[in-house]
Amino acid sequence: MRTAVEELVYRTCLALDAHDFERYLALCSLDFRYTVKAHSPEIRRDMVWLDHDRGGMEALFRTLPRHRSDPGRLSRHATVYTVDFDAGETRANVVTGLLVFRTAPDGGATSLFAAGKVHDAVDLQDGKALLARRTVILDTRELGIGTHIPF
Amino acid sequence: MTRTASEWVARPKLPATHFVDRRIYTDEGIFREEQEKIFARTWILACHESELAAPYDYRTFRHPAGQNLVLVRGDDRQVRAFFNVCPHRGNALVYEPAGNARTLTCIFHAWTFDCRGECTGIARRKEGYQSRLGPGDVGLRSVRAERGPGGFIWVNLRDDGPSLAEHLGDALAVVAPHLTEPLEVFTFQRVRLRTNYKLWHDTNSEFYHDFIHYFNRVTGMQQPGYFERKYAPFPNGHVSVGSMEVKYDRYEGGQSRIGWPGLAQGGWLLVDLFPGITFNLRTSVLRVDTAVPVGPNEVLIELRGLGLARDTAEEREARVRDHNTIWGPFGRNLHEDFLAVTGQGAALGEDPRGAGWLLHGREENATIHDEIGLRHFYAEWSRLMGRSPSSPFASLAGVAGGAEP
Repeated sequence: MRTAVEELVYRTCLALDAHDFERYLALCSLDFRYTVKAHSPEIRRDMVWLDHDRGGMEALFRTLPRHRSDPGRLSRHATVYTVDFDAGETRANVVTGLLVFRTAPDGGATSLFAAGKVHDAVDLQDGKALLARRTVILDTRELGIGTHIPF
Repeated sequence: MTRTASEWVARPKLPATHFVDRRIYTDEGIFREEQEKIFARTWILACHESELAAPYDYRTFRHPAGQNLVLVRGDDRQVRAFFNVCPHRGNALVYEPAGNARTLTCIFHAWTFDCRGECTGIARRKEGYQSRLGPGDVGLRSVRAERGPGGFIWVNLRDDGPSLAEHLGDALAVVAPHLTEPLEVFTFQRVRLRTNYKLWHDTNSEFYHDFIHYFNRVTGMQQPGYFERKYAPFPNGHVSVGSMEVKYDRYEGGQSRIGWPGLAQGGWLLVDLFPGITFNLRTSVLRVDTAVPVGPNEVLIELRGLGLARDTAEEREARVRDHNTIWGPFGRNLHEDFLAVTGQGAALGEDPRGAGWLLHGREENATIHDEIGLRHFYAEWSRLMGRSPSSPFASLAGVAGGAEP
């Protein structure tokens, strides 16, 4: 079961790396919710930088082609640290280390874009794992030009 | 028609106030001069009062003239600003960007200072200095600090000169009536961009670039009233922009708006303050930017999102959502703005001595795609720098580039 959970986390990274948003959403449950947070020591507050339910994520992905976005490619490198199952093994809580690298389109130089941790809740049914809740907590707050595509 | 090398550098057939020499964005000497003649002599927005709400709260600020400052709320609730440097051996006094401390203690040799900048202790003073130097002989370097509209704290490195109110004049009049309630910063983002600070402020000072923003095109440019929005110039290089009714529901996912007290439904007010500060009030959020240049082709931009201090949890959540849709690090518009200005930085910065021009020549009766905001900025820039932006390396005398548009 742990393998299925780990593979789900890695597949979400591969789908977003490939801009394959349909494949990403297929890995998420119908009540999926996605949040990016960071703590600001400057204002001494936790900040929410993105917060969408599944419908919001679908709208975000649908409108992307109409926007001007960074032509650089992001590469998500995840390491699943812990997987904790509930008693009935219907849900797993997962903590993953995440590094995001950006490769420039001109010349291909790669640089670290962001670091943080991903806290996932994964629904488990009939041996299948679906992402129900993802909260990305960023260490990196200086994100340069930013990105239209979530982590 | 393409241009040959000589045609490329020929002066545009526009008034000298309607284009600038691209080297004003890349020349190291001009940048150092800007630090001295502009940033070290004018009012700069450092932070918001909600960031140091309690007595003894402190907040650091990297000043665009190059100094590191610390702002401290005193036991009398007054906010004071100082160089963030110990007068003993020049160590940074405060390392964290914000905090609370009754005493500021230098970690290096344990000298101590109070919230008013007075030295309160010199470790082993008698043994080392005998009667030659005591706490009364040293202290923190104070910097003028004033509270402005909306509770923002401004600093000025000059001991004298115009007050903040004199510097701002009526430039904030369009937004000030909407900033009377206590505000609170709910998000802070510092971004380091490879571009010149003026290119960032230029972008904030013209709406012609709405062509890059799908969000602004469908909610604004394609709606009635957009092309009637007008610029209003103010003394000291500031401009404001009139409002319209933005149709946020024209963008998928942009429907939820709780508004802002007194701001008309879909209203949008914007003020650009010389030399690099912008107040942007739209949807349910006030966004305020401060540009902190660190080199001719490098700028830190501090972006703040503010709501009302009295917000309920639900109201705050709605403001955060509105902010993030267009302005967060994953937002639609901010990323596009950053793409454009870093594209300029790449194109200009990689050829810092390259000759050529950037055009500021659109005239549309001061309406939204008129570039009067840029021309007004550079008239003030010219006045303070003693240089014409279209002939920056020529004597200003006899060059018609420094006049008001």
